[in-house]
Amino acid sequence: MNAPQTLNLRINGESVPASALLHDTLLTVLRDRLQLTAAKRGCNQGVCGACTVSVDAQPMRACLSLAHNCEGAEVLTLEGLNNDPRMQALQHSFARAGAFQCGFCTAGMLVSARALIEQNPAPDDAAVRSALSGNLCRCTGYVKIIAAVQSAAAALREEVAAS
Amino acid sequence: MSALQGFFRPKTVAEAVALLAQDPDAKPMAGGAPLVAMLNARVIEPAALVSLAGIAEIQGISVLPDGRVRIGAFTRHRDTAASPLLAGTCGAVKHAASQIANATVRNMGTIGGSIAFADPGLDYPPALVAAGAEVEIAGADGRRSVAVRDFFVDWYTTALEPGEMVTAVLLPAPEAGAHGVYVKHARVAGDYATASAAACLAKDGSVRVAVGGCGPTPLSSDEANAILSADRSDASVAKAGALLEALADPLDDVRGSADYRRILIPRLLRRAVRSVEGQA
Amino acid sequence: MSTATTDNAPAQADTVGASVSQIEGGDKLTGRALFTADLYRHGMLHGAIAQSPHAHARIRGYDLTEALALPGVRAIVTGDDVPGDHRMGAFIKDEPALAKGKVRYVGEIVAAVAADTEEIARHAARLIHVDYEELPAALDPAEALADGAPLIHETSETYAAVFDSGTSGNLCSRTSLGQGDVEAAWTRCDVVVERTYQTQAQAHLSIEPCGALAEVDSAGRVTLWSANQSVFRVQANVCESLGLPMTRLRCQTPHIGAGFGNKMESHVQPALVALALKARRTVKLVLSREEDFETVRARHPATIRMKTGAMRDGTLVAREVELLLDGGAYGDDSPGVLGYALLMNCGPYNIPHVHAHGRVAYTNKMRFGAFRGFGVPQVTFASEQQLDEIAQQLGMDPLALRRKSIKRDGDPWFGGQPVLSNGLAECLDVVERASGWQAQRAGKAAAATGDRVRGYGIATSAHISGLLASGAVVKMLEDGSVLLNTGAVDIGQGSNTALTQMCAQALKLTMDQVAIASPDTDGSPYNWGTTASRVTYVTGRSVVAAAAEVEKQLKMHAGQMLECSVEDLELLPGGKVAIKGVAQRNVSFAAISGRAHWAAGGPIMGTHTWVFDQKTLDPKRAVAVGLPFPQIGIFSFSAMVVEVEVDTLTGKVRVPRAWSACDIGRAINPTMATGQIEGAFVQGMGYALTEEMVWDGARLANPSLMDYKIPTFAELPETLQAFIVESNEPSGPFGAKSVGEIGINAVAAAIANGIADAVGVRLQQLPMTAERVLTALLAKEGA
Repeated sequence: MNAPQTLNLRINGESVPASALLHDTLLTVLRDRLQLTAAKRGCNQGVCGACTVSVDAQPMRACLSLAHNCEGAEVLTLEGLNNDPRMQALQHSFARAGAFQCGFCTAGMLVSARALIEQNPAPDDAAVRSALSGNLCRCTGYVKIIAAVQSAAAALREEVAAS
Repeated sequence: MSALQGFFRPKTVAEAVALLAQDPDAKPMAGGAPLVAMLNARVIEPAALVSLAGIAEIQGISVLPDGRVRIGAFTRHRDTAASPLLAGTCGAVKHAASQIANATVRNMGTIGGSIAFADPGLDYPPALVAAGAEVEIAGADGRRSVAVRDFFVDWYTTALEPGEMVTAVLLPAPEAGAHGVYVKHARVAGDYATASAAACLAKDGSVRVAVGGCGPTPLSSDEANAILSADRSDASVAKAGALLEALADPLDDVRGSADYRRILIPRLLRRAVRSVEGQA
Repeated sequence: MSTATTDNAPAQADTVGASVSQIEGGDKLTGRALFTADLYRHGMLHGAIAQSPHAHARIRGYDLTEALALPGVRAIVTGDDVPGDHRMGAFIKDEPALAKGKVRYVGEIVAAVAADTEEIARHAARLIHVDYEELPAALDPAEALADGAPLIHETSETYAAVFDSGTSGNLCSRTSLGQGDVEAAWTRCDVVVERTYQTQAQAHLSIEPCGALAEVDSAGRVTLWSANQSVFRVQANVCESLGLPMTRLRCQTPHIGAGFGNKMESHVQPALVALALKARRTVKLVLSREEDFETVRARHPATIRMKTGAMRDGTLVAREVELLLDGGAYGDDSPGVLGYALLMNCGPYNIPHVHAHGRVAYTNKMRFGAFRGFGVPQVTFASEQQLDEIAQQLGMDPLALRRKSIKRDGDPWFGGQPVLSNGLAECLDVVERASGWQAQRAGKAAAATGDRVRGYGIATSAHISGLLASGAVVKMLEDGSVLLNTGAVDIGQGSNTALTQMCAQALKLTMDQVAIASPDTDGSPYNWGTTASRVTYVTGRSVVAAAAEVEKQLKMHAGQMLECSVEDLELLPGGKVAIKGVAQRNVSFAAISGRAHWAAGGPIMGTHTWVFDQKTLDPKRAVAVGLPFPQIGIFSFSAMVVEVEVDTLTGKVRVPRAWSACDIGRAINPTMATGQIEGAFVQGMGYALTEEMVWDGARLANPSLMDYKIPTFAELPETLQAFIVESNEPSGPFGAKSVGEIGINAVAAAIANGIADAVGVRLQQLPMTAERVLTALLAKEGA
């Protein structure tokens, strides 16, 4: 019988014990066991991107990651990134630009965008499109998201330059 | 309910192979992307998973003493797509890796997991065939190497015997002045290819091509390669295209009809050949 | 990119017209916003559905023993648990809460299970055995309407309907509209174009799948949270289909992950409420993406036979259209889509002689229903191509041809409804200028590079803003701040923000002095729903009117407090009433409200309720049979130019640049408005080029995001420019009309016209996939 086992996950900088069946995905554990519901289940097949979280500093699909396979990895969700300066710059620019509507894809979008800016502080249009093409949005038509990511990147560069 | 009862994390290939031999219902897991998607959809219900993530030997891209490039089975698409070691005709494989799915999935998926899955819509198979790759396999009986053309056997079927796993993909030593490209025709970015074509152009002008998405395995033909190596004019490309089209056994599916795929073969081939010429 | 005005620092109390950020932004951007699937309750059970494997079958019985025996299963409901013969339906009452007596499409909900975990519930659902007697199925609308076709609704003639639907056998509804004398008119035409077009089922693909959570109290009253576009339609549908008095159900609204029409009528709510009532416990049920594809609804596939006639000088004279819509197994919004598509089929042009008629057929497929555009994308695909064909035959510039016949200031709509604001001419001017239309078309041959050929397409469209009922309650709280309650559901488009802006503006308050309540059938005034692009106009008018009531009461108090006549009073920004010209003689809203609460008059409250009342048709000008909307109107307009690039090697079409101008009356929030135009354009691109639900016999072949592809960042044009044109509708709140749907209607047509311009082939079928384009190109080469 497949019984739940306790595993120790590193979530948002803390060691968190969680109960998971062997086939439970990281997404199921985050949402149903730990009530970290920012990452969403849009397709459960890795296509929509609404479940995107950071695992060992890389954006990954939580719905395609087995929880047991994530022991030892540093998992960051949107909830744990709210104090991160890059994330804050993105949140601020998304709000100003109207880069979200219903908000369901937004957590995954922000995690992917933050990873982009971390690797590429001055992403051009093509770089943004390429980095985010795995995050589907049905509401915005993407235009304002590209503008918001670039304006957040610019704001961060200014801050760095100023300091 | 899920039958999954075991989750193993071997540290060596030998350990992994032993685990797979002992349980025929155990599945090896690399990046996990297609495997977990199938688990979520209950398309597969393995009794155990053998995670290959901890096996150092199958990680990374390196150059062997004889100059050949070795891509460890557990190399993520992201790393294959960025590797400066994949020069010359290996560029076709690098180019294919860069067009798989999207950036986030490329952080997760691996070449070994991808080719072992053998979905004919995948991007690696035609690129590997055009680049003349070999697949290194490990099993209870030891190691063996198989030319990639013999590795892909049928729809979702490879030359892997039960209990065997892919350990690496080997590519011929890159030469300066050689190039390789992978041309993908898909409905939208991130989709599986409706059809694709890979072309490799060596410094001496010899050409190897392969077509993907038009049958259970990549289409390739020594005769077609010979024709193109001798002459890359439109007429010659058309001849080679006709040869490959004769080998095609495409499906009708939501990405396109079999007829459409047949029509695409010589057209994509021409685009791939002109593109690789353009790199030279 | 977009030319939205962003963040104009508003003048005091000038919130309307400012690009205020969405008021829920904080929660959405930090991951705190709770959608249906994010709701958890102590002791909550999880639900799962069992679906029909057959397109058409009688249900002989159920065997639930194996399912009930699974540990952790708490309750199962089937059609047997719903007594009587209750049915719901937006226009025709033809649909049970879940299948009862028979199933009518593959994927239909046949049972629902509540269990301790979602996994157990889904496992149990697979263990439910239903004894079916398979029946022949009718999968195609024409087949379904032919003599001898299997009857999908045996007693369809007896169903209650809200209008004269003509329902009979597999004919779900029929509508016919006409003006002038079309038969005589053809003989006067110099050019006549007649073609048949075929459009596909499109899936809404809101990133949030459908789901609901039902709580039951000890008296059996249910509180239902669900992904919805109308708490009132949920309430009506659940209660009608379960035979419950509406007082037994309270419907509330979490954050909604978009709808586009998918969540306007019910999805799992009726079955879920039945399940929760049986279990007597809270149950949450969220569909998987595959179930969402298969079970809910999609855009109507349509067969459109259209004929247009014009004079040599390009003047449009006559139009005939015959529409056959695949309605699927249940009527849902189909009669409305048919009637609306016919009403709008001419587009925003003066065509004196029109005969528009059509039918909706029941078929054994999932129901088809409301989807952004509501029938207009389908007819526009036909109509705007016919105009281009006429232009081509006459050797006229397509833009010039349109300018000859577009409705201008003062022209009424087809059927005679007055149109009081019309910015269409300006929309055309804007996109002509922005795209460099003349120069582009002249220069495009030079721009062609190898296999890739460019072309330019233009198309126009219109959409309504006024339909059915709304209300508003504006309450002044003790401290002088205001609570607004309209019952309008914000599905992400920003209505909460826009309505708050309007209320604040009306009372000269700042945004943070106005709070807006969440839609709740217990406390909110009736709102038909967030659909038909109606909230800004219909609900906005109620907000303005209710605020005016509040102003009246404020002034009444202030007059007494300041000892002057109410005519001498005005509102000052920030919450004060003052004597005109003597600002220092004022009383604060807080002081007035305190007086009202504790001393005189009672707490201040303004209310308004209304049903949109402009008649659709003037019976002296147009004839109609089976008109589903007798009162609908207030037209927004759009014109767009697209630059397409056709890869002649593969047939693949992309859109490098696009310019879309919409006359929306007045932009309450410009950034949100351009966001609608941009989002609609991209969704329209998917409709035009890549999205198609494909049936393999009776079963949906591609109910998955792997196989059904919507546009990604990579498909977005390099340049997509949205333009707002403001014609200031006199009847609209602050001059506003609508923006929700106007941006999608013309996209497929504009792209089709662009493809024709680029490579000389015209497609009559959607989507215009690479395969279809290449096939047409090769046929042209071969011919």
